[in-house]
Amino acid sequence: MTAHDMPKAPVIAEVRDLRVQFDSKRGNVHAVDGVGFQIRDGEMLGLVGETGCGKSVTGRAFLNLIPRPPAKIAGGRVLFRPRGGAPCPDCAGEGCEACGRTGTETVDLLTLPPKPMRAIRGARIAMIFQDPGKALNPTLTIGAQLAEVFLQHRSEALLAEAGVSPEETGWQANALRRMAREEDRWLDRRLKGLPPLSSAAAKLDAALDAHVAAALAETQIPNPARVMRAYPHELSGGMRQRVMIAQALACDPDLIIADEPTTALDVTIQARILDLIKTLQRKRRTSVLYISHDLSLVRRVCDRVAVMYAGRIAEIGTVAQVFADPRHPYTQGLIAAVPRAGTGRGHLASIPGSVPELVDPPPGCRFADRCAHVMAECTRANPVAREVAPGHQSVCFLEKTGQTAAPATSEASTT
Amino acid sequence: MQLRDYIVRRLMILPVLIFGVSIVVFALTRIGGSPIGVYLSHEMNADEVAALEERFHLNEPLVVQYWYWLKGALSGDFGYSGVASAPVSEVFWPKFAATMELSVFSAIVAVWLGLWLGVFAGTRRNRWQDHLTRVVAVSGASLPLFWFGIVLLIVFWANLGWFPVGRSTADLWASIPHPTGFYTLDAILAGNVQAFLDALWHLFLPSITLGFGAVAIITRMMRSALVEELQQDYVDAARAKGLPERLVLKRHARRNALVPTITVIGLTIAFLMQGAIAAEIIYRWPGLGRWMADAVVRGDQATIMTYVLFTSVLFLFANLIVDIIYAKLDPRVRLGD
Ligand SMILES: Nc1ncnc2c1ncn2[C@@H]1O[C@H](COP(=O)(O)OP(=O)(O)O)[C@@H](O)[C@H]1O
Ligand code: SF4
Ligand SMILES: [Mg+2]
Ligand SMILES: [Zn+2]
Repeated sequence: MTAHDMPKAPVIAEVRDLRVQFDSKRGNVHAVDGVGFQIRDGEMLGLVGETGCGKSVTGRAFLNLIPRPPAKIAGGRVLFRPRGGAPCPDCAGEGCEACGRTGTETVDLLTLPPKPMRAIRGARIAMIFQDPGKALNPTLTIGAQLAEVFLQHRSEALLAEAGVSPEETGWQANALRRMAREEDRWLDRRLKGLPPLSSAAAKLDAALDAHVAAALAETQIPNPARVMRAYPHELSGGMRQRVMIAQALACDPDLIIADEPTTALDVTIQARILDLIKTLQRKRRTSVLYISHDLSLVRRVCDRVAVMYAGRIAEIGTVAQVFADPRHPYTQGLIAAVPRAGTGRGHLASIPGSVPELVDPPPGCRFADRCAHVMAECTRANPVAREVAPGHQSVCFLEKTGQTAAPATSEASTT
Repeated sequence: MQLRDYIVRRLMILPVLIFGVSIVVFALTRIGGSPIGVYLSHEMNADEVAALEERFHLNEPLVVQYWYWLKGALSGDFGYSGVASAPVSEVFWPKFAATMELSVFSAIVAVWLGLWLGVFAGTRRNRWQDHLTRVVAVSGASLPLFWFGIVLLIVFWANLGWFPVGRSTADLWASIPHPTGFYTLDAILAGNVQAFLDALWHLFLPSITLGFGAVAIITRMMRSALVEELQQDYVDAARAKGLPERLVLKRHARRNALVPTITVIGLTIAFLMQGAIAAEIIYRWPGLGRWMADAVVRGDQATIMTYVLFTSVLFLFANLIVDIIYAKLDPRVRLGD
């Protein structure tokens, strides 16, 4: 898919005016302060900014995995329209403004009850974590960890493959059903290896293994059968991240949150993992929110990019727009910093200073104390987003002309 | 190395270790001098003493004496107890079984309760349940066992009369055979529910007294380990897969928090064997306590050696079990190093 098709694709997920604050000893940290953007079906949206800008917190909001406490959601919504979800109540599936012409009901992920939220996690929205060495449980085999996804979301298919029809009742079918949903009881585990349960249970295990092996093979892991039996510490970092990717893609989700998926890896394999994510994303037409502090990576794989600074969006547009015509001074600084080594960690070669502490911040542009173009008005009020080209917005007082549009509410503002 | 091979190897080393322990135990008791004293009485003349020495091989070199002792021990003869005026092998087992029953019961209760409380507090971090559990844990770790036992005795036996002292109600004890010497087991084997309940009723106060300190240690360890595990990325990754909180805890965080806790549990076993003697004295429990106290004072070396040997073997077994559970829980443990 090229960048030109993008505006036509329906919006599958949207953040609106998200505000997340952390209680700390020094005060209230405004980690995310009015962030808004949209993710279109099948696109890869980059979210870039220096460390501590609030990218991970924003990404975790999609899975409702922000730790509360210490965090609290001070406002905003994270909307999601899963493919094949319930029909939109406003238009009965015809497609209207409220549902972004998808015909699918919109859910707010931040207020969704735990049970439907769990049905979305891992199945419709999945996450790839920064450090696969920490995101895999060290005491469970790779196979057991991947199996959990299928047991949570694909138990019906597993049961069908094990020859248990949905109509079947009786204690054996019920015991197998509990096994396929990871709700097995102590007695079920004792009976599992004994006839008459053992043959059906073995079929269930075989079906599960087949799913897991197929998921691993998808990410070009050599010898999936061996990797399944391995523990995380027996694999290399790159192999572990492939496992994480396999796990994220297992149930063919609509949206993947990839939080710096290559940052913790060896430089030599970063490119290969990046290409793998891109290839699989293209093949499955999955939407990806690709979080990174590295603009060059985003430029390579993303369709659009949102630049984030100190809890706010600074600039958003297609990759072509933002790199050809960076409007926000922060974006310009980031682009100038790209080729230099040893950047990151809150320091950029071309921008002096670092990300401010966000404890009860005063009004005004967050970038003011590092900006070469700072003006009097910059510290008096918050800059608003202005459209500098169709789909390209910059949140800066330097933009005197152009339509004002909060990126949060640019399209489906009628809901 | 496979876990099974590891267990086999550890079991094969066990006799060697026990042999080593027996040498050390023999040498240490003999530092106190000849064991003849406990067998003497005032009326004996020099010839009679010499005859005794002859009979117990005390006139031979130490190595030969050890050899005789080892030969006896291997055939179940642990010498003659001067304090009990009977062969050690006849008196030892019932008393040892009484002490063991108390220790094992306390250990089971302490481990179960400690892990449960640790999870209870760790999953409710910084809420009132956590603070309350901390109070229990701190008191368990700081109250002297003797004091705590006497307070329980005064309240629940002397004042309220809810629980008895001693090990059994005499006629119930007499109503069943005692093939193992463990009252609970014997009652189960005899199918006698009343005797079984009687055993539990008598075990209640002494095992709380004995287990309280261990509960405190296990609770604190489990709580802090669980809090630590719950902050790891893999816990969020498990949630991100759609797992219910029940499984996030059971399959991931709690299981991993057990790894460091298991080591502490191994150490508390030694702690319990130590405390058993004190608990026995408070509750008139017919275990090894009183006999051992007398044996030490009167230099009854045959008795002391048997006790130290048996508890060492138990400790070796407890450690083996802990190591196996440890290796089973954590695949990163390199077996055989
Ligand atoms: N668990 C937490 N506890 C306290 N503060 C946090 C926590 N997570 C994030 N924060 C705050 O939110 C800010 C943004 O964090 P994060 O989203 O991880 O940044 P990024 O991913 O862009 O590097 C941090 O600077 C920190 O102040
Ligand atoms: S609003 Fe002002 S301070 Fe902020 S980036 Fe623009 S010019 Fe710089
Ligand atoms: Mg981050
Ligand atoms: Zn609609």
